[in-house]
Amino acid sequence: MRAQPQNQLPKKAVTVWRLYGFFQTMILALLAAGAVFLTIKFSWPVWIQWLMIVIVVLSIICSIIIFPNIRWKIWRYEVREQEIEIQSGLFIVTRTLIPMVRVQHVDTEQGPILKKYNLANISISSAATVHTIPMLELEYADMLRMKISELARVAEDDV
Amino acid sequence: MSNEKFKLHPAAVLINVVKALKDLLVPIAIIIVANGFNFNFDYRSKDFFGEMVPLMILSVVLLWTIINGGIKWWTFVYWFEDSELRVEYGLFVKKKRYIPFERIQNLNYKEGIFHRIFKLVEVQIETAGSKNGKPEAELTAVTRAAADEIEIRMKYAKNQQAIIEENEQPIIEKVPSTVVHKMQIPELLLLATTSSGMGVVLAGVFAAVSQFAEFIPFDAIYDEVAFLMKYSFIAVAIIIALVLLLTWIISVGFTCLNYYNFTVSKEQERLIITRGLIEKKRVTIPLNRVQAIKIVENPFQQLLGLASVAVESAGGGFSGEANKKIILLPLIAKKELLTPLEELFPDYDFSLSSHVKPPKKALPFFYRIDFIWFVPLVGLISYFFYPYGLLSLLLIVPIILLGRWQFKTTGYTLYENQITIVSRVISRVTFFAVKKRIQVTQGRQTYFQKRRDIGSAKIVVMSGMTGASAIVRHIDQQEVETILCWYEK
Repeated sequence: MRAQPQNQLPKKAVTVWRLYGFFQTMILALLAAGAVFLTIKFSWPVWIQWLMIVIVVLSIICSIIIFPNIRWKIWRYEVREQEIEIQSGLFIVTRTLIPMVRVQHVDTEQGPILKKYNLANISISSAATVHTIPMLELEYADMLRMKISELARVAEDDV
Repeated sequence: MSNEKFKLHPAAVLINVVKALKDLLVPIAIIIVANGFNFNFDYRSKDFFGEMVPLMILSVVLLWTIINGGIKWWTFVYWFEDSELRVEYGLFVKKKRYIPFERIQNLNYKEGIFHRIFKLVEVQIETAGSKNGKPEAELTAVTRAAADEIEIRMKYAKNQQAIIEENEQPIIEKVPSTVVHKMQIPELLLLATTSSGMGVVLAGVFAAVSQFAEFIPFDAIYDEVAFLMKYSFIAVAIIIALVLLLTWIISVGFTCLNYYNFTVSKEQERLIITRGLIEKKRVTIPLNRVQAIKIVENPFQQLLGLASVAVESAGGGFSGEANKKIILLPLIAKKELLTPLEELFPDYDFSLSSHVKPPKKALPFFYRIDFIWFVPLVGLISYFFYPYGLLSLLLIVPIILLGRWQFKTTGYTLYENQITIVSRVISRVTFFAVKKRIQVTQGRQTYFQKRRDIGSAKIVVMSGMTGASAIVRHIDQQEVETILCWYEK
């Protein structure tokens, strides 16, 4: 059995994911409200209303209450000298290995919500793909970005 | 001769216009069709101006295209300076592009029908930076001699020879190129028959027929057919055979246009593919830019022992073909496959002797996923078309069979620095990649897979913007970890 990557995301990430879930649910609720309104206005079958309500309730339970915790438990990463390993997912656990030689560039980015919590995302680009480690403490994210880009520069294509 | 500025051949105007019109074909067709072909040329009628609007838009667009094509040719110059190829064009907004010769990865040639008439070529200049299959610069129409001149200059710069003296004619010996594979006419016919081309043509025929459906007297035909049916199934069979024959002929026609004289040759460390009957294309790929090799066999071809080979290349390909997959051998007998491939790619191992398979317990996973769409579909069909809708339950048989087939095909082999992945959706795909070309490796495991201790592994190589990937599904989790460890080393 391969050991899991060592580092976990800060506990704050759960809060941020809940917030994202909340916004998602709001959008969904708005759409549902629109649908319910149309149903009443044009007297469509009643089950549409119930379906909408069930969807919104499910969204509240899943994307606000349950999923953030599961995500946090699964999310792990590790930056080693030769490669970066990221474990992510919800139902599907994905483990990604990016050798340092393949790293093209590293970015950190911070949206308004992340800024409020003093967090930042790191995205690591290879020639073909982009991989993100989300919601790290800002100072730590900057440090990690420097570290990765340094390691990436040192790593040599030995093959 | 230095710094002499060259212009394109005047035929470039024509080619520019035709190219632009090709892109405008759809909007123009929409304007005409939306108008229902009712152009009114009677200037005394009171709707005259109202009905002229679309036509006026059309002529303005046409005029604009022609003027634009002219301007582009008029202002376009290219020249060689400081071992760079410099291109400049534009009337109000001047566009300049300087490309150092040593950055040029390859020159692709294309000869359309107008090029043929005037004995010209289109040269596409590609650098490593050209993304999206778009060439860095395009010389729409130049003479053969001018195209050769660019190549000669480029080679000189690359060999880092001293600056070319004023009057000295550059002499460069033609590098011998060896023909690796040439497609024969029988293979061309087989390709037209076994590739999906036939299906595309059939779909096209149906689409065309449905367009004219209102003009076809279906009732009369129906009566006719009923009459025929009464007499003989043979007549119907003959008609069906005729239709199939017709699609086959059309398909052969298209295939011939595209793949006529398909030749793969190797020149130094470059791969050269030429093809086409009316539009001749020549593409060059440096061998070291090949990221992965794919052998694809669709079920027909597999039955007949045939296969096609494509390479994933970083950059390259003809412009406009967004994906970087390049067909290396459109169709070849599997037995003969090894010779050209081994000659081109000596560091790959194309044997498939030992092959790690998914475990028996993984079998259900190959068709289980399909039930996500299958169950609701059958539910709906059965509900709305009860009792006959229940027949859709029979779909379960092909799904399970396909799943079993996929299970049987799946497998992978690890070598010291190469991985070979075999998989199937419908066609069997064998994906060869060397470790140093793999960008990222992923292991993934769903909740259900975890309970049975299996998982999937995915490798990604560079190709275009998103890369190309191969997945081995539902192998032992142990094996997924073996792949990850192999990659890590």
